[in-house]
Amino acid sequence: MTSYLFSRLLGLIPVLLWITVISFGIMHLAPGKPTDAALQFNPKVSLEARQRMEKLYGLDQPLPAQYLQWLGRLSRLDFGRSFLDDRPVMEKIVERLPITLTINVWSLLLILGLAVPLGVISAVRPGGLFDRLTTVFVFIGYSMPSFWLALLCMALFGVTLRWLPVSGVHSLDHESFGLIQRWLDTAWHLLLPISIAAFVSLAGMSRYMRSSMVEVLRQDYIRTARAKGLPERRVLFRHGLRNALLPVITILGLSLPDLIGGSVIAETIFSIPGMGRLFYEAVMARDYPVVMALVTVGAVLTMLGNLLADLGYAYADPRIRVGKGER
Amino acid sequence: MRNWLAVVGGVTLLILAVVAIAAPWIAPHDPMQVNLPDALLPPSAAYPLGTDPLGRDVLSRLIYGTRISLLIGFIAVGIAVLVGCLVGAVAGFYGGWADALLMRLVDTLLSIPSIFLLLAIIAMDPAETLLRWGELPVIGGLFAALFQAVDPHIVVLMAVIGLMSWMGVARLVRAEILSLKEREFVLAARVLGASPLRLIATHLLPNAMGPVLVSATLGVGGAILTESVLSYLGLGVQPPVPSWGNILNEGRVALGVAWWLTLSPGMCILVTVLAFNLLGEGIREWLGRQ
Repeated sequence: MTSYLFSRLLGLIPVLLWITVISFGIMHLAPGKPTDAALQFNPKVSLEARQRMEKLYGLDQPLPAQYLQWLGRLSRLDFGRSFLDDRPVMEKIVERLPITLTINVWSLLLILGLAVPLGVISAVRPGGLFDRLTTVFVFIGYSMPSFWLALLCMALFGVTLRWLPVSGVHSLDHESFGLIQRWLDTAWHLLLPISIAAFVSLAGMSRYMRSSMVEVLRQDYIRTARAKGLPERRVLFRHGLRNALLPVITILGLSLPDLIGGSVIAETIFSIPGMGRLFYEAVMARDYPVVMALVTVGAVLTMLGNLLADLGYAYADPRIRVGKGER
Repeated sequence: MRNWLAVVGGVTLLILAVVAIAAPWIAPHDPMQVNLPDALLPPSAAYPLGTDPLGRDVLSRLIYGTRISLLIGFIAVGIAVLVGCLVGAVAGFYGGWADALLMRLVDTLLSIPSIFLLLAIIAMDPAETLLRWGELPVIGGLFAALFQAVDPHIVVLMAVIGLMSWMGVARLVRAEILSLKEREFVLAARVLGASPLRLIATHLLPNAMGPVLVSATLGVGGAILTESVLSYLGLGVQPPVPSWGNILNEGRVALGVAWWLTLSPGMCILVTVLAFNLLGEGIREWLGRQ
């Protein structure tokens, strides 16, 4: 296991380097100096501040030197200061991260909780009524513009029926509530955003679960289990599901970029002060340090998620860690 | 049953193509005509799908929006297929360092949430830069003519969406080429002295086209979804040019009062993307049976 972990970590290095090249490239392909944008959007930035900024980014030096300097600061988790309010970028991200992670973790759980049963039930009778119904659902789910679904739900549940709040993460009188009440209040506000975020990946995930389960149910050991007279439930869950779940974990890891990217849209629509909304605001204000930092952080989060998924897979299936670790 | 669905998808797309081409003749009103006294009218005989906050006819705007969506979808995917074939062919054929470098780039682009990159690039206002190309000494006239015909924001959208979605095709092509390049017919061509370019272009790539076609068909739907998200966020097709996404953006302001502004553009997106997905899956099944 250790050698597998080690080889996986080594494999991340080239990807990390590409990420930094891309983030750096975006900022430096921009027309004009990056500091122009700060001046243009904030006339209060003084001359000294501009000079400090230019010095900070080493704009008088050749590009490769600038890149190496930026990389050096990056390795100390120093992303510079925001053009908008001159606060450290890292501080701005750290205060916005928890709410985004909360939404994404809950929607991941929701996806797993729904996609697994959907996939298993369709796989038990491929071509049956349930399977055909979920196929229709999957096609529509794939094609649905999620931001439109969010708008419709907002209009229906928020504006027309007034069942759910339409924006923000808590009510105005949040501070006066007790702990449990506060918790419920937040959950109440996040119900729609979490459901919408889950819906995006649900269609694909239930399809993967189905095909993985169909594949497993065709194996000889399933026939053996049935032949020796095990009850069907035991065959399905102990012998079938445990094996079918493995590849789905990897796919779940691969769907992370969509989930994190989706928070830009969901948080903008529902006015949630998370990382996605910070990104949107930074983009609209051309706050390059924040944009670069979030591109990097988003990619690193995805990589870590994939790594976790792969490690989980390797932990559960010895064939993986032996096969790859010794290569 | 699946074939039947693919036919439904194909026919829907044909209808959409006809609507896009015939837009000037079938649109009941001028899509750009501002008519403030008629603002935010619900659907009626005069305005079958109602009007927007500036009193423009929503149906006419949707009809013209079909043009934009299909145009961006097809050209973006064209760019993605070109880049993907090129990268996949080089990586698969030459292997070694080129392969390692290119495939790590693919891994990286797949691990960065694509909406982040799209927004970050569009935030730099590449359309401004493109417009400046019109002032270049020799070829400037060419660019100026192009931007006269197509809004530079739309050129940017097509290019950026295309350049952010070639990775799947590259992986497909690379895998096909890896499995094909040791086959007898390729070795025979190689022995006969075919150049690498000829090997790739006439022997390897044509054999990889099946899966690429499937991926491209599904990709057009994806590109249309991406365009609508960007336009919804105000960073895609710029008003007054109508696009399904920016009509939704205008609808958001009036979400509580003018439901028709939100319902109809979304249905257009859903139906179009669904049609591409049905057709793509149909082609995949058909190829699988061959």
